[in-house]
Amino acid sequence: MERLKDHPVLDFDRGEKVIFYFEGKPIEGYTNETIAAALHAAGIKVFSYSPKKKRPRGFFCAVGKCSSCLMVVDGRPNVRTCMEYVRPGIHVRRQRGLEKLKGTEE
Amino acid sequence: MKKGYEVVIVGGGIIGNAVAYYLAKEGQKDVLVIEKNYISSGSTGRCAGGIRQQWDSEANIRLAMGSVKIFEGLEDELGFPTEFYQGGYLLLAHTPEHMEWFKKRVELQRSLGLDVRLIDPKEAKDIVPYINTEGLLGATFCPTDGHANPFYVTFGYYKKAQELGVHYLIGKEVAGIEVRESRIRAVILSDGSRVEARNLVNAAGGHARDIARMAGIDIPVNPQRHEILVTEPIGHLFDPLIISFKQGIYFRQELNGGVLMGYGDPEEPWSYNVRSTSRFLFNMTKKVTEVMPILDQVRVLRQWAGLYAMTPDAQPIIGGVEEVEGYYQAVGFSGHGFMVGPKTSELLAELILTGKTSLSLEHLSHKRFKEGKGKIEKAVI
Repeated sequence: MERLKDHPVLDFDRGEKVIFYFEGKPIEGYTNETIAAALHAAGIKVFSYSPKKKRPRGFFCAVGKCSSCLMVVDGRPNVRTCMEYVRPGIHVRRQRGLEKLKGTEE
Repeated sequence: MKKGYEVVIVGGGIIGNAVAYYLAKEGQKDVLVIEKNYISSGSTGRCAGGIRQQWDSEANIRLAMGSVKIFEGLEDELGFPTEFYQGGYLLLAHTPEHMEWFKKRVELQRSLGLDVRLIDPKEAKDIVPYINTEGLLGATFCPTDGHANPFYVTFGYYKKAQELGVHYLIGKEVAGIEVRESRIRAVILSDGSRVEARNLVNAAGGHARDIARMAGIDIPVNPQRHEILVTEPIGHLFDPLIISFKQGIYFRQELNGGVLMGYGDPEEPWSYNVRSTSRFLFNMTKKVTEVMPILDQVRVLRQWAGLYAMTPDAQPIIGGVEEVEGYYQAVGFSGHGFMVGPKTSELLAELILTGKTSLSLEHLSHKRFKEGKGKIEKAVI
């Protein structure tokens, strides 16, 4: 587990503990933390693979700018998981390059 | 830079660079191109890169068909990537008037040898499964239409022209043109320096009227802002560039996955303004999701604007003028200069070198406005 428990100036209100799924596997997360934070805490460091060279990408800017954490959430591609909160039961998977939009499954 | 040149070209967009290249290729290497900002900084670098042959006027169709032939072999010719991709153009009609117009257009285009066909909404949906066919009466499709990367194409011409010996002056602005005894003599730069010129090519895009005026020529070319936006990249969704005349929009998916889109605002005044607006952002996204609802999942990445150089009949003005010997122009493309750039430039180089062209440019002479002969090109978006 890689969560900060105490901080000199910040208080943590993690919210409710819930279960969501990463590539089919149940993961514990909290409703007041982002998907990326929950995955990172669960030891999942690779969030996506780059479009051209298929290089692994992980937690990087954490403020919604860098595109490293784009994942497919409930079928929706390009979700910035560092900006989106954990919700119970969602299905998250690694994005591999450019992914098709929801509703266009081949 | 030398004291003088056989040909001085004003403007470093698709036309300026391609004319320089075709002149040099045919042996005329005593050429200077003057660009006040940077290569492709004007309309060329701001355009959507669409390459369409489905036009209303014979002149536009022929220039576009000739350009597609050139685009097909351009990577090899220039030794530079172009990202030319023939995914077709799909034009949508939602009213009986548009259907009638489409039928007439297809007839003319086919008579000129273009592979284009009128299709029903079901066929349109086969080509692009995600379009909304509600209220759609029909469409036209030309599979050899497509798009290319305007920066790559322009830089390809630029590099090759330089290799052949063309000189460039970048970051200098033309402030005046010397005409004596009805002949081009020299170009004066804003820093006061003077470059002798036997011939001058006006390829100044949105600023063409100002350049013409310096040579004492008045041309009816006016700048008009057109805005564009591009989305985040997504997996391959559709091949053709789509135009819907109902909403007045066009959009296409780039090879890198982003969706590029724009529309013409009929209320837009003549001006050099190229700022972006939130009005465009909201209207554009609303209109495009009417045509392709699934795009509501996609985020906008950025937006920008450029100038259409509009003429009264929305057709370009190409060739020389009677009043001033040595003055040539390829201006007023009214939003489709990139796609007809290669053939236009080849013909203009031919005109400068030999005094005639293998494809008639008569109808595109600026004389047509005096004679009241212009036929309006209606297919501009």
